[in-house]
Amino acid sequence: MPFISKIQRQTDYSRFPSSHPIVIDNGGSYFRIGWAGEANPRVIFRNIVQRPRHKITGETVTIVGDHDLALLKYFDCTRSGPRSAFDSNVVYQFEIMEYILDFGFNRLGADGSQIDHPVLITECACNPVQSRSKMAELLFESYGVPSVAFGVDAAFSYKYNQQRGLCDKDGLAVCSGFSTSHVIPFVNGEPVYEACCRTNVGGYHVTDYLKQLLSLKYPNHISRLTWEKVEDLKMEHCYIAPDYASEVRLFQKGAKEAKEKTRCWQLPWTPSPALEPPSEEEIARKAALKEKQGQRLREMAEAKRSSKINELENESKNLEFLLLQLRHVPENEVPSFLSKTGYVSKQEIESAFTKTTQSLRKYKGELENEEKADLSAAEKYTLINIPDNMLTPEQVKEKKRQLFLKTTSEGRQRAKQKRFEEDLERERQNKQDEEKRLENPELYLGQLRAKHRELSEKVEQRKRLKTNGGHSNGNNVSGGVGRGERLNAAQRERMRLLTTAAFDRGKGEDTFGYKDEDWQLYKLMSKDNEDDDEGPDEDEAELARISSRLRDIDPTFVFRSEAGPSETSHLRPLTKEDFQIVLSVERFRCPEIIFNPNLIGIDQAGLDEMAGVSIRRLPAVCQSLDERMTNSILMMGGNCLFPGMAERLEAGIRMIRPCGTLIRVMGASDPILDAWRGAAAYAAAMQFPQQTFSKVDYYEKGEDWLRQYQLRYTY
Amino acid sequence: MEREVIEADLVLPTHLGFKKIQMYEKYPKGQARGRHRKHLKQIIQAENYQNYPPDVPNYINIESPPSMHPCKKICDITGFAAPYYDPRTNLRYANAEVFKAIRSLPNDYVQRYLALRNAAVVLR
Repeated sequence: MPFISKIQRQTDYSRFPSSHPIVIDNGGSYFRIGWAGEANPRVIFRNIVQRPRHKITGETVTIVGDHDLALLKYFDCTRSGPRSAFDSNVVYQFEIMEYILDFGFNRLGADGSQIDHPVLITECACNPVQSRSKMAELLFESYGVPSVAFGVDAAFSYKYNQQRGLCDKDGLAVCSGFSTSHVIPFVNGEPVYEACCRTNVGGYHVTDYLKQLLSLKYPNHISRLTWEKVEDLKMEHCYIAPDYASEVRLFQKGAKEAKEKTRCWQLPWTPSPALEPPSEEEIARKAALKEKQGQRLREMAEAKRSSKINELENESKNLEFLLLQLRHVPENEVPSFLSKTGYVSKQEIESAFTKTTQSLRKYKGELENEEKADLSAAEKYTLINIPDNMLTPEQVKEKKRQLFLKTTSEGRQRAKQKRFEEDLERERQNKQDEEKRLENPELYLGQLRAKHRELSEKVEQRKRLKTNGGHSNGNNVSGGVGRGERLNAAQRERMRLLTTAAFDRGKGEDTFGYKDEDWQLYKLMSKDNEDDDEGPDEDEAELARISSRLRDIDPTFVFRSEAGPSETSHLRPLTKEDFQIVLSVERFRCPEIIFNPNLIGIDQAGLDEMAGVSIRRLPAVCQSLDERMTNSILMMGGNCLFPGMAERLEAGIRMIRPCGTLIRVMGASDPILDAWRGAAAYAAAMQFPQQTFSKVDYYEKGEDWLRQYQLRYTY
Repeated sequence: MEREVIEADLVLPTHLGFKKIQMYEKYPKGQARGRHRKHLKQIIQAENYQNYPPDVPNYINIESPPSMHPCKKICDITGFAAPYYDPRTNLRYANAEVFKAIRSLPNDYVQRYLALRNAAVVLR
């Protein structure tokens, strides 16, 4: 980690007299606080606040800055993401600012009843008055600061380097920060704010771009790509190409230099234990077990069957006996006899008897098809052939019933026939398959495997499309796709159709519906709804069939039914390469957005163009200086630490300035800390107290005065 | 609090000697949700910059104009130069293999690639 936060509590607060100013560099990424006149800030920490709940006690605590993750495990950080007081380099959340100031002063060692030192705090260029006044109020009211001064961090940095002799008193300050980049021209040592230029692209956007690209390329390693980790990757590996187009062509051709420039991040990975093919004894043992189980099942089935047969035999014997008795019983005693046995009439007994004999025969395993056929033939279809007008009404009813029975039994027979034919067909195909297999096992196996692979891919794809594949990586992706993720595939399809219909109509007028064909759109929609659920079934059935075949004939086949969403080949176990994250083009594609904000859709000028814009905006009196302006261009801010930035900036500015102008680009002596150092040097000077304003001033003079308040940097 | 947490001095103490008004006095009912927090857009609107002379620099004035250079078209997925674009998904691609990859992407990936370029369809 190149940046180390320093948060040791300082002990020498009381050493400093009341007039000694405290200097604060309130940056988008880091907050730096220290004493005036010193070389380094005492306390540095990341400008964010978290309010997690303690897991055991349940109280909500405030944690400022970034801390060791190991200690954070005592806290439930799920609902409290890190929050910043800034909204693109302007402070707007003053509660968070208060927490940060609390922490900063606390670590500086502040004691006593109020902060008794004048405070110099940095802000962005042309800070809105509201933000400024709220900050002043905060300092005066809550902390009791006697006097306050506001300055622009880029100006302090430039002055500091000017005193070191790195740049002249007329020049350009190119400051690329966390959320914005500024170009400020300096004339006679004073910044010219009228010609200042700001683009809303900074280190945050570069890191965010890199994070999105990597998450999209490696969706199964998303949990590894946290914002802090990606920032580390960016600081370590990203560089700026001197010319994007030629660099990218190198990679496209696959040249040797491209391979050298590719960096690879290996994630920790353990090889999964290889499934050894089961040994001989294993197989034999398993087979024996299966045999035993099968045997047991068969025995049980046998026992059940025999008991059932016995039962049925008893039943039929009883009924036979009953029938016999019935024949011997005289006519008039039939009803009473029948009531004793529980049957209502002789036919009932007879039908019960036939039924039991039939089921007996079935259990004994005799063919019943012919029985049924005989039965159907035995149905008396006598009435069908007689035309209607010769029958009585009951006979007509009877005839209808017989007709119905006949048609149903015919239908049954036809279905049976078809099934029989299908069976034959399948038999034939199986036989053919077998022949093919026997004559050329390799080819057949290969074909089958290929088919299996295709089908499984198709099924996987459909499953993927159905489920909500939307991973939201940590920070929310721009609101545009947020809502789309919550809808399922059918609804999304519907939305898509509607929006394309809406977009097709151009020319400001909505002509949807005037033509009849437009309404066909809705037919498409509901079709999509149903289609989704029925389609995969046949594919899945086919897949199951093929996989069972493969399992039978191929000893090395392992069917992976639910592979991960990104596995391209289902038959290959995860290897070391799957756990590597490769940074090749992303290394220079991400910082490119500083020079070309169009790449992420921000419609503003890039850094090199901004220099030209700024020089153009100089007021007329300073026009004569513009040749000298480019002679001292100073780069500052954390986002300009990319290797290759200076050359690119120089080349870019050379393109837009007249031929032959002197261009000299240099980096500040310490791009990150120089702003604080410049501010500290300024605060230690004699003229500083005249530049501050006190609480009395603030309340008397009011907002208008505050609006025009600007620090004078030369003295 | 666990011992190591106290030793590391992780947590911001609730009472600070040098403050005139403590946080818990300001927000007696726990942390104020701050619904009256104004975002940058609202701050700028409230500033009413049009009432002031236009040549005085203010937060809006100093913003950069759109770029004069023609927009560089790069492939959304690989980063190579992309002369073509796919009319169905609106993604830019460099060659035929990338095109195959694009056509097999699920829809939300397409939207996320487009969102990188600020070109996603926003349904609000």
